[in-house]
Amino acid sequence: MDKSMSQEGLALEKKKKFNLSQWIFIGPHFIFFIVFILFPMIYGFYASFTRWNLISSPTWVGLQNYQTILGDPTSSFYRQFRRGLINTLVFVAGTVPLQVIIPLALAIMLQHRGIKGKGLFQAIFYIPGLISVSAAAIVWLLIFNPRLGPVNNLLGSEVTWVVNQPYAWMVIFLMTLWGSIGGNLVIYRSAMSGISRDLYEAADIDGASGTVKFFKITIPMIKFPLLYTIVMSTAGAFNVYAQPLMVTQGGPEQTTHVLMMYIRTLAFGQGQSVAGMAAAMSILLGLVIIVIAAFQFRIMYHNAK
Amino acid sequence: MNIKKKLLFGAATLSMSLLAGCGNSNEIVMWTPLTGEDGQIMDQMIEEYNDTDPEFPVSHVVTPDLYTQIYTVMNTGEGTPDLAIIHADRVEGFVRFNMLKPFDDLMGNHPNLVEDNYIEQAWTAGEVDGSQYTIPLDVHSNVLYYNEDLLAEYGVEHFLDDDVLTFDEIMSLEGELDEGHYAINTSLMSWVLLAQAVNLGGDISDDEGNPTIDTPEMREAVQALVEVEEAGLMTPQGEDGYAMFQGQTVLFSSDGTWSSLAFDMVEDLNYGVTNIYSFDSDTWHNRGSSHLFGMLTNEDRTEEKEEGVAEFLDWVYENSVTWAEAGQIPASREVYESPDFENYQQSFFTKSQEQIDSLLIFDYEYYGYVEAAINLVIMDMVYGNISIEDGLAAAQQEVEDLVAQGHGADIDVDLDELDLEE
Repeated sequence: MDKSMSQEGLALEKKKKFNLSQWIFIGPHFIFFIVFILFPMIYGFYASFTRWNLISSPTWVGLQNYQTILGDPTSSFYRQFRRGLINTLVFVAGTVPLQVIIPLALAIMLQHRGIKGKGLFQAIFYIPGLISVSAAAIVWLLIFNPRLGPVNNLLGSEVTWVVNQPYAWMVIFLMTLWGSIGGNLVIYRSAMSGISRDLYEAADIDGASGTVKFFKITIPMIKFPLLYTIVMSTAGAFNVYAQPLMVTQGGPEQTTHVLMMYIRTLAFGQGQSVAGMAAAMSILLGLVIIVIAAFQFRIMYHNAK
Repeated sequence: MNIKKKLLFGAATLSMSLLAGCGNSNEIVMWTPLTGEDGQIMDQMIEEYNDTDPEFPVSHVVTPDLYTQIYTVMNTGEGTPDLAIIHADRVEGFVRFNMLKPFDDLMGNHPNLVEDNYIEQAWTAGEVDGSQYTIPLDVHSNVLYYNEDLLAEYGVEHFLDDDVLTFDEIMSLEGELDEGHYAINTSLMSWVLLAQAVNLGGDISDDEGNPTIDTPEMREAVQALVEVEEAGLMTPQGEDGYAMFQGQTVLFSSDGTWSSLAFDMVEDLNYGVTNIYSFDSDTWHNRGSSHLFGMLTNEDRTEEKEEGVAEFLDWVYENSVTWAEAGQIPASREVYESPDFENYQQSFFTKSQEQIDSLLIFDYEYYGYVEAAINLVIMDMVYGNISIEDGLAAAQQEVEDLVAQGHGADIDVDLDELDLEE
């Protein structure tokens, strides 16, 4: 009797251990994760220690690529990494705060009871994010065309925007914000709709101002969506590629040539690939993103406590 | 087998069947980088060929990012196409990595596939160590378009009496043009610069294969362009000079032969073609490249199929006038000497041996690095944002570093050696 019970228990345990249906559910994603994310990440890490032209086998060179990128000022790869990273940081600093502040302000405005057609406004802000960067760049380049564009004609300006700084960055920032605020707006609106009205009514009874309600109720209540959007916007901004490529081609004087453009050119540009060096730059960029994201998490959690 | 397992098995079988269905052993699979209108014209040519009912019909696959795709499939050994259209500067690298099979054996059975039947520069671009690795399809060249009406308006049609516009002639327009009108634009400026450097006796590499960008010839060539810009004769930086030529505010546009397709669509634009400007009318070049058919290395391909490839190339030799519709110069003598081809603007470049000789094709293995490095600095040099010395030195350094990396991929680097060096 005991023996048969223990056998049944064992069978049940086995059944618990291997349940086909759960694997069917997570299987496709798991396979895609391993094939398209985990394996390329590991191989990219390995490639960063090699010289590799994508044709022949990678040749192990140890830390040489990293030494060149970080410690050899005579090398063009050193200059590219330095310039690319600085330009990328400029882009991050110029877009991420606004990618959070503008949709947050819009979300608060759309929370107001008196506003009609909230869905329409949300759609208007969201739709640009669905348009391809290439198509958007053509439109923005026309808008800022020095002779034909409405901006110069309305302002009576003769500025050639995309070849002069700081105007080149301004066009890139504007185009990026136009395409990215809709996504964060939806997240903030969704999070705000979950805040109990009771909290605001209680604050009203206590005589709290709008600013106090925003900082003491709204922000704490949407803390995690806010953190999520800050981290994701930052990571996305560090990976910027298409906007400067389409608008300025990295100019003028390579001041908008971001790191991903250098990496892409090294790995898949004209001529033989320099994939090892490109992989090393990618790893370093990845490390920068991880460090900054970790820092952001720490600050947010620290403040939450 | 329970229902879940059946479902899984069914899905796996379906996937494998779909993947297997992608290939056909009797089909010559050809990859090309022809993503624009030229791709549709190639489709049309392939259709014409397949209508002849060949034993091995051709399947044309337009492949964006062609070279990365080729490297990938050849690394894995799976899905390698039979044929690919590659550019002239890629041949040497492909041969060095054993990616191309020579046509030498097949040429014996196909008398059309010989050097004399093609534009020489396009043919020799495929010749490495005495073997012929590619058969040319075309030459696509830099060309100077001119606006006939504007030349007449300023009374300078005589500039083109000898078919060569010189820098002196361009500079003579200083102060002569109406406001908003310009002499030249900056389309394909790096191609123009390279041709000027060669006009002055320079080159992009020396006999040892080292890049030669920061040279006196290149500096002189850039300086000439700077002077044109400083004289207010070049379209302003940030303006779309290509569109301005279509808008009839620029007298000359240095572009590609293929741009004629777009210019043809502009109403009232009366234009002609001539050689890219030069320092004097005795020496001039038109920088170009060539689309070349290369047979990619594949152990599994049968000799019969390779014979099918040669038959297709034979057909292209006789019938590629269709390709001229893409704005290209067919490399086949039978085509470029035919009366049909005379109807196309780009026949200007094959009207005499002197013109054919002006077609400048770089087959330097690291040409891609050179063009990319020059493109990074040329506009800033020409518009005075950086000095010519700094720009060319940066480009030279960049190409040298890239070439060192390219070579480094072939050698086994010993860690102990590295430590010693450090």
